[in-house]
Amino acid sequence: MSITNMQSSRGPSIRRAPRLYTRSIRGWLPIAPFIGFVAVFLLMPAVVVFQRALGRVDGPKAPMVEAITGQYRKSFIFSMQLSAITATLGVIIGTMVASSIVRLGHRRGIRNAFTGYSAVAANLGGIPLAFAFLAALGMQGLITKLLKTTGVDLIGMGFKISDFWGIVVVYLYFQIPLMTLIMLPALDGLKPTWREAAANLGAGDRQYWRFVALPLLLPSLIAGFLLLFANAFSAYATAYALSSGSSKLVPVQIRFFLQGNTITGKENLGYALAAWMIIIMTVSMTGFIMLRRRAERWRR
Amino acid sequence: MKQRNILAKCVLIMVGLFYVLPMLSMARFAFQRVPMALLGWDTLFKRWTIKPLFTMMSDPIFRESAFLSLRLAFLSALVTLIVLVPTVVYVHVSMMRARPVVEIISVLPFVVPAIALVVGIAGAFRDLAPWFIRSDYSLVPFYVIIALPFTFRSIDNGLASIDVKTLVDASRSLGASWTRTLWSVIVPNIRVSVASASFLTMTVVLGEFTIASLLLKETLPLILSQSQGREPQGSFAVGLVLLVITASLLGLINRFSRRRNMGQSVTLL
Repeated sequence: MSITNMQSSRGPSIRRAPRLYTRSIRGWLPIAPFIGFVAVFLLMPAVVVFQRALGRVDGPKAPMVEAITGQYRKSFIFSMQLSAITATLGVIIGTMVASSIVRLGHRRGIRNAFTGYSAVAANLGGIPLAFAFLAALGMQGLITKLLKTTGVDLIGMGFKISDFWGIVVVYLYFQIPLMTLIMLPALDGLKPTWREAAANLGAGDRQYWRFVALPLLLPSLIAGFLLLFANAFSAYATAYALSSGSSKLVPVQIRFFLQGNTITGKENLGYALAAWMIIIMTVSMTGFIMLRRRAERWRR
Repeated sequence: MKQRNILAKCVLIMVGLFYVLPMLSMARFAFQRVPMALLGWDTLFKRWTIKPLFTMMSDPIFRESAFLSLRLAFLSALVTLIVLVPTVVYVHVSMMRARPVVEIISVLPFVVPAIALVVGIAGAFRDLAPWFIRSDYSLVPFYVIIALPFTFRSIDNGLASIDVKTLVDASRSLGASWTRTLWSVIVPNIRVSVASASFLTMTVVLGEFTIASLLLKETLPLILSQSQGREPQGSFAVGLVLLVITASLLGLINRFSRRRNMGQSVTLL
């Protein structure tokens, strides 16, 4: 992506004769308002988070350490387990959907319906989505009732929409379509000629998938996992609405601090929790972007 | 091959049901006055009503929050365009070197989750500019930031699909000022991207809960979550309407952009 654009910018420079001028700092000046806007409303708050998290130690432990011990460690583990499980299930089911769409590729209608709805559903969330699932899988939910008539007693099995597995199911509503959107171009990129080439060299079906297709898809699969993980890890509103704020998720713990229910001497703990969230998000999103670049290499 | 096709169809049917059923359940809960225990084939089509929606809409607290959310949505879209369009146009016209930098800046909001951002906002602005945090409109810049990864992509794709340099040169050599060039030459050519960016910002604003709730701004999602216990049917009805609005805005953008440049989806992909 960036390589092609770099080339196009290096076109014939007859028009813009004094190159030195554009190279100087003044060329960046018109971008300054944009950078300033982001600096004030995004970077400054982020810097304040780290400043307070790493600042004065007023308890026996530094806030950054305290934020990953005891009950806070538990809630980080809870949040990360939830994110990892929804990401794993999202990767598996989303990939199955994408490959089913490719397999039924001759039916444009199916493909258009699924890609169109996926692009919408991947961006849904928040309070209304929680409402939809309360109406579907809550105690008096429609699906709960439907399943009961077929003999599956969800409530009897101990399923609660506000529990761990309940939140997992709700998150899948945006995780599956997101993964479908990631895998569709990757699967489309598997050219039939590669399969034929492998067959000509004597590879069976299984060998083709193991030694040709899987290595090509792997960067997309891992990138998808990381994106889905980050997506679930930063989500908050849906889980909050499902369990009325009693959940163990890290964001709910942070909310507790922000509302002023602080234990004296631990004012900076909320900042430390937020700082750890930013660190985890940065790691997974950086991994996502790098792997995505790698995955795109095969696609043009 | 045949068997595999059946498997593929089963997968799509199952997932399709998973997509559709929660929405249907929500519609039934919101608009049908039959308790779940009595729901059966004979009562399926009885006592449907859109009254819950009207009771909710006549509630003054709800109305105020809906208008606030709408105002925030329009303002955020406007600020997005003012901040973003001139910058990205300038980058495309004469600073392509700066594009990777602007692109990285525009995806930065992804690594700061809303909950972490609001902690930082409270920490940074509470002492520095308390009047700013007190105003309802203080949400606007943060919503612009949250939508930035999506809106940048939209404008960037739009500009990549036209020959900006030639248009600018033509317009400038005919004596048009920069403002005039931007307003009556470039913007009309990327109007689909401009519309997409505005719609995207609006969907973000209409759904955002975290920041509004922690800064105690009574926006629509906040009132929805608060009135869930008091007026369950009404709040579910409004929630459904909100989902439908969001979905149609996003669907519209997809249709636009697919016609334009070959299935570029609106998400971060």
